[in-house]
Amino acid sequence: MKQLVRMTAAVIIITAALLYLTNWLNTSQGFRGKDTLTIYNWGDYIDPELLARFEKETGIKVIYQTFDSNEAMMTKIAQGGTSYDVSIPSEYAISKMKQEGLLLPIDHSKIPNLKYVDKRFMDLSFDHDNQYSIPYFWGTVGIVYNPEMLGGREIHKWSDLWDESLRNQILLVDGAREVIGMSLNALGYSLNDTDEGHLQEALRRLNLLTPNVKAIVGDEIKMLLAGEEAAIGVVWSGDASEIMSENEKLDYVVPKEGTNLWFDNMVIPKSATNIEGAHKFINFMLDPEVNAQNTEYVGYSTPNAKALELLPEDISGDERFYPDPEMTSKLEVYENLGPRMLSHYNELFLEFKMHRK
Amino acid sequence: MRRGIKWSNLYLAAVFLILYAPIFYLMFYSFNSGGSMREFESFTLEWYGEVFSDTRLLIIVLNTLVIALLSSLISTILGVIGALAIRQVRRLRSKHTLLSLNNVLIVSPDVIIGASFLILFTMIGLQLGFSSVLISHIAFSVPIVVLMVLPKLEEMSPTLIDAARDLGASRWEVLTKVTLPFIKPGIFAGFFMALTYSLDDFAVTFFVTGNGFSTLSVEIYSRARHGVSLSINALSTLLFLFTALLVVGYYFIHRRTNGKPANAEVGP
Repeated sequence: MKQLVRMTAAVIIITAALLYLTNWLNTSQGFRGKDTLTIYNWGDYIDPELLARFEKETGIKVIYQTFDSNEAMMTKIAQGGTSYDVSIPSEYAISKMKQEGLLLPIDHSKIPNLKYVDKRFMDLSFDHDNQYSIPYFWGTVGIVYNPEMLGGREIHKWSDLWDESLRNQILLVDGAREVIGMSLNALGYSLNDTDEGHLQEALRRLNLLTPNVKAIVGDEIKMLLAGEEAAIGVVWSGDASEIMSENEKLDYVVPKEGTNLWFDNMVIPKSATNIEGAHKFINFMLDPEVNAQNTEYVGYSTPNAKALELLPEDISGDERFYPDPEMTSKLEVYENLGPRMLSHYNELFLEFKMHRK
Repeated sequence: MRRGIKWSNLYLAAVFLILYAPIFYLMFYSFNSGGSMREFESFTLEWYGEVFSDTRLLIIVLNTLVIALLSSLISTILGVIGALAIRQVRRLRSKHTLLSLNNVLIVSPDVIIGASFLILFTMIGLQLGFSSVLISHIAFSVPIVVLMVLPKLEEMSPTLIDAARDLGASRWEVLTKVTLPFIKPGIFAGFFMALTYSLDDFAVTFFVTGNGFSTLSVEIYSRARHGVSLSINALSTLLFLFTALLVVGYYFIHRRTNGKPANAEVGP
């Protein structure tokens, strides 16, 4: 019995000591102060130096937390019990969160730096007049390929993927809209097509692609492509720049037929407690110099026209990430097609996945 | 006969090699200066330095330990009381029912337990964070403790209690001087089992964390999904060593507490 009592006491003492240590660390780091701003962002999606600079300039302590999918982020915010001040969802998530009333309107008068944002990236279908969201980064869906593994061959358009010589070489990202959109684009239709005939045609076309498809994968696509497990991958441009920085042999192309244009925008969730600080942060991130530094760190495409001018030529002149106006006109933003159409897309995608060669 | 033993040893070694190979592979690359798991360039402790200079990570490690210790302590107390109560039940059928209900909780998928806790906490308006994680960890640890303590209780001859009562011990004295010392090995086993379960739990915790509170397994998961930084390897290595240390600690305590009565029995 003595031993039991001693053991219990020991555990309680250790726990108390640990709690004290945690508390001390928290306080010494300023996480318990009054003026804090909680940012809920994708992992590794901001230059940490900038967070430190923001803290220095404004005296607001930043608590940085990460999520790994739009869905996880939405659940945590919708569920309540959290107090995130700024988050950075993708555009389809924004239109959904808007519908569900999870966002607070943004006061444009508090964000003077908004004038630097390229007009092309403002007032888009998912958020008219940018009432709830401010552009952070944008990008495309395209093809990453390894010219060496393809014997020096180049790829320019979606329809190149159907070539018979590419047996078992292609990795697809696991997204219904991305994959069906690819097929729609290859056929010359819009990404947001809802015509049943066109969709069935796209599915038939996709089924013809199966012999070339090695796998349909999630985030691990980056590792597989960089590790040369496959020669071709259909990915988001952001992932592409990450893959290319890991393996320089690879190249990225925005397919000629046109493709998807995606956005990650800054929003203020309804659970925000430091709304003033959130506006300050959004304005800070739009500062051309700050934005340019962040763009260099993250490697995605910036919507900030002034920041783009500050970037070195080898970044801003890279047509793979900043396509020329002619190409840009062929890019489309995913429209919210409504839950019924979306589940139809998902069904078609499932049918494609189950199709046997 | 000799040959046979050798073969079985070889088989055993092969099995253990296969089981441990992925962990050692991961540990090996935590010392790689190359920055990826493809080629080993040269030895470095850089990633370990990164782990220790990251205060947020250290806070998370401390949180994990606090949750593990506190939840296993509380669940051990609750579990022992529960086991004593189940033992008291006279009717065999209701006893078996209770035991089955206990076991269902152990075998039911963590995802379901986690999701139901999330729904419950949201419904009653409890903020996600330290308390929600603690409560759910206690909840899934209690059945484990019960399962570890109950066999020891069953092992104890009822005549021991009768004898103690006969000699004038009060109910409290019977409990503290006879029953608890007898089932001590079971209590320790339960505590350590609960500790390891709590330390490495991912699924349940994943659902009920929030508001900046996170535990190590959840943090490793969200870091691993975004690029493969070798600091994750370093962290996992440390975690593995810590768990190994716990197992060794458990072994020694087990030997000490179990060894003595066993020897006494063998004695004269």
